[in-house]
Amino acid sequence: MFSFAFNSFEEAIYMNGHGIYVWIVFSIVISCLAAFFISYKNKIQKIKKKLNESN
Amino acid sequence: MIKKFIHQFASPKTYLFQVNRFYPYIFYISLIIYTFSLIWGLLFTPQDFVQGNSFRIIYLHVPASFLSQSLYVAMAFASITYLVWRVKLAAYLIIAIAPVGAMTTFVALISGSLWGIPTWGTWWQWDARITSTLILFIMYLGLISLHNSFSNYEKADKLLSWLVIVGAVNIPIIKKSVDWWSTLHQSASITLTDKPSIDPSMFYPLIGSIIGFFGLIICLVLISSKHQILIREKTKSWIKDYV
Repeated sequence: MFSFAFNSFEEAIYMNGHGIYVWIVFSIVISCLAAFFISYKNKIQKIKKKLNESN
Repeated sequence: MIKKFIHQFASPKTYLFQVNRFYPYIFYISLIIYTFSLIWGLLFTPQDFVQGNSFRIIYLHVPASFLSQSLYVAMAFASITYLVWRVKLAAYLIIAIAPVGAMTTFVALISGSLWGIPTWGTWWQWDARITSTLILFIMYLGLISLHNSFSNYEKADKLLSWLVIVGAVNIPIIKKSVDWWSTLHQSASITLTDKPSIDPSMFYPLIGSIIGFFGLIICLVLISSKHQILIREKTKSWIKDYV
């Protein structure tokens, strides 16, 4: 169940021509998640700073 | 006692403190599960006999599709809670969930389109499943825009709650579209009642990726709701003590 499905790292990237679709989707998912986490963290910090200044 | 518990937890102050307490645990556990499941699915499962390696998109597409619908159902429950019991935390949750729901639906649509190129030979088809998911995405965007267009939060919350409830009719349509109509999109591989139609070596990482992604999305909803609380409760004295 845990054996590497490819013969080499290059083959894992290429995936018989399907790698381009798989890795683009992977990049989009990770970028969206990261962008949302970073954006909310920044927004919260900004509000906290504003509230601290007004105190 | 139950009513007291609900009211205590429904207080934005208690909610915020509980979020701060549990958030790191949920985040790190989900991140570990998601990373492990993606590595397992993308690199260690055997390739599919029919679809070849393009089937690996399942580990990214299915969790996003599942969450895009689940988040809308959560919004509908929050809307009912707000309209019936006037719990203001529920109103904060509706608008906190909407952008996260839009993002997961966007991911579901894009990943589905990219998966369609090698498997169906087309990136788009106006079939029932894909079209109803596109409608869900437009609904999320519409709800966010509508809420932002109001200066009176109370009016916006009320209108948004009603619209979310009306729009919930789209969820069973998305779910059942592959059974009701002849679609290019395949029918569900995993159901609660039947044995999964995919091999266990492909199924276990899929379950892991759904659980991991679900946890990360819960974390996004938690920080998004925290952001909403800080905006909406900024005049309250407890917020000043909190920051």
